[in-house]
Amino acid sequence: MTPSPDIDVAIAGAGVIGASTAWHLAQAGLRVAIIDAEGPAAAASGASDGAVSVASKKPGVMARLASASLAHTATLAKGGPLSRAFRRRPSFLFGQGPEEAAALDALAAKLAQIGGPVSVENDGGAALLPGCGMGVDRIVRLMGEGHMPGHKAVHGYLASAGDRVQRIWPARLKGHEADATGVTLDLGMSQLRAGFLIVAAGLGAGELWPQLPLIPRAGQLIVTDSGPAGVLPGALTAAAYLLAKTRDGAPPPRPPVVIDPLSTGQYLVGSTREAHGDPRLNDFATIAALMERAAAVWPPLLGRRIIRIFTGVRAAVADGLPVFGTLPDSPRVLLATGFEGDGICLSALIGREAARIACGDGVTAGLEADLAALSPTRFTKHARWGAA
Amino acid sequence: MTGQVVLVVGAGLAGLGAAVELVRAGQRVTVVDQTQAAGGAIHRQPLPGRPSIARTAEHRRWQSLMAEVRAAGIEIRTETRFGGIDSTGEVLLTGAAPGFLRPKALVLATGAREAVQPRPGWTLPGVMTVGAIQTYLKTQAAPPLGRIALAGSGPLLLAAAAQLCALGRPPVAVIEAGRPFAHPLAALRLPPGYLAEAAAYMRRLVVARVLILTASHVTRISEDAAGLTVEIERGARRRRLACDLVGLHDGIRPNDAGLPDIAPIPVVRLGDCREALGARAALADGRNGGRRLAAQLSGTLAPALSQELQRQRRAQGLLARIYANDGADRLATLPGDTVLCRCEMRTLDDLRALGPAPTDRMLRLDGRFSMGPCQGRFCAEWVQRLAGRSGPARRIGAARYPAAPITVADLLAAQKSREGESP
Repeated sequence: MTPSPDIDVAIAGAGVIGASTAWHLAQAGLRVAIIDAEGPAAAASGASDGAVSVASKKPGVMARLASASLAHTATLAKGGPLSRAFRRRPSFLFGQGPEEAAALDALAAKLAQIGGPVSVENDGGAALLPGCGMGVDRIVRLMGEGHMPGHKAVHGYLASAGDRVQRIWPARLKGHEADATGVTLDLGMSQLRAGFLIVAAGLGAGELWPQLPLIPRAGQLIVTDSGPAGVLPGALTAAAYLLAKTRDGAPPPRPPVVIDPLSTGQYLVGSTREAHGDPRLNDFATIAALMERAAAVWPPLLGRRIIRIFTGVRAAVADGLPVFGTLPDSPRVLLATGFEGDGICLSALIGREAARIACGDGVTAGLEADLAALSPTRFTKHARWGAA
Repeated sequence: MTGQVVLVVGAGLAGLGAAVELVRAGQRVTVVDQTQAAGGAIHRQPLPGRPSIARTAEHRRWQSLMAEVRAAGIEIRTETRFGGIDSTGEVLLTGAAPGFLRPKALVLATGAREAVQPRPGWTLPGVMTVGAIQTYLKTQAAPPLGRIALAGSGPLLLAAAAQLCALGRPPVAVIEAGRPFAHPLAALRLPPGYLAEAAAYMRRLVVARVLILTASHVTRISEDAAGLTVEIERGARRRRLACDLVGLHDGIRPNDAGLPDIAPIPVVRLGDCREALGARAALADGRNGGRRLAAQLSGTLAPALSQELQRQRRAQGLLARIYANDGADRLATLPGDTVLCRCEMRTLDDLRALGPAPTDRMLRLDGRFSMGPCQGRFCAEWVQRLAGRSGPARRIGAARYPAAPITVADLLAAQKSREGESP
């Protein structure tokens, strides 16, 4: 005997993926509950600023999904839930020395081939960004990309969904039992019966499914005080950062740095990619090296004060691709986790597609192959799934 | 050499008391202080060429401690700021002596800061803390220009008012929210020094005919061409008072914003930065804490906690009763456009827009409270209270360094000092 569902879909995790999914489901008229151990944007979504960027993705599956998500994000920003969260802005890649400049030229040529909403400009020098430091040999400018702070997106989705989404926090999903008609959720003090479960709990998914090769990836970040906004019109990213992220191989010779101008007039300077998950670990040696490099590339930073230094933790997957799809032995449970730094960028698309799957509609035509590449079935060779 | 020095942050009574005892117990000590001279808030020294306005007894206490500091050969690096301690145990110092240090232990003696409750107009130019006025008096040995009104609550109002009288510019009014003269029995139970000090202050105020209002609240400060106007409420009565400067003060709190919760070396907080008990407790706590830390470092038996601490805790409890008032309860009745966070000018309405029972994350990210340069040092207590938190939460979210904003240039200057270091 199975109890009748309290709600249609339960979502574990009130980060940007969970909030987007909740909004899309509410739009479809479903009864939705969103559960979080702390509250909205409590983990990676709240600790980061979000580039909605195609250029920062590995060419192939991720770049194609990012391009589709950028288009959907822009739609949701036109009077929709993201109208106060997303804005268009250019982004810049810089290279120092002939080797980085050549690598950047090659990357720019490759990005130009993706097409879609993003256009690539490369004048073979550094004139596209006036004010950058003396040692910068190459600037590539990308137009048509955007920017979306994670917490603003979460706030926008949840505020727009209003009371069509039931909020349950602080509450932790301790386990679940899936059967033919739905899923029973164990929330510790209480139980919840849902027709479908979506787990968008970042590293929390690893607690429920230890067989998922999720790895915490810590990043140290620096926030400055505010000053005149618009001096730097978009994020300035080291080619070395992208090369480290998009190309397998040895670590880059210099600390890869991203200088992100926030809408408040502050700068966010990051970030390391460290193989641990402890947000308390933070060291001056790394911070000073990051800032030394950032100030050499963008000298206006020298006039600023540092007001906060912190470490954020993202969920990554061993093979570098996120996890998205239903479980092989529980078609009523869908996982969406392991986006590392790409969750904000992909959230609009992933929320839409998760909602389609939960509604039984199947994914949008044209995305089948790319989304299939993210399926958790790629880890199921020896593992048994089901309730943890 | 690393790992050999105990670093003491703050050259006030607690920090120097600890430093003297640590050296006596055989430890090597470095003291840093962000100001130009040792002294802390209580014994803040006059600028070069200016006389001291300290009372004789205070002056003697300081001279005797400094004699011990000199005898112990303790190095005090002034104009040097503590930037924080990272998770590897490295400390950042900026200012006159920038660099990184790996101390074997850390003594935090950063004193107290003032609490100032938000009120309409509290961010206007000409409105400052009573402590800031006192700093001016102690360093300049002269009063600031203009008509001064002191408002809020606590013994510091009377002390600063008496100092202004002594320097020839009595304040136009002392506006005290509590009813300190209505608790004679509690006052009589205070240690003797307290009453003598209060009587000396009152004598000056009476002679100078200073207007003293009790059970009175400043409900608004406004500004026009002629200066500032404070609106005062006493029960059902209202009055207005013209002035040029307003000093606000609603008690003292440990100055502990940005100090670490955890560190890989022993860290002790001494004096007001752990528990705001005032000058008498700070010296005793510093000495006792220094001896206890030395014992911990050398693996010997720690001495007992200071008796003086208990005595001063009782005294502060009595003072809290004597000055009890409903000021903090009035926060919820402030006009919606009252600024709570002056770094980013966030108001009570902005806080209410977050809905009931916002999480720390929502307060920070959606409300942007505690996100500016002060990182909540001044507003977190009121925001938490208004958000319905019980208990004395004085921050929103985790403690993070830097302890106070540091310039990028200062960080890079410290980094430069690494060059030439042997690995």
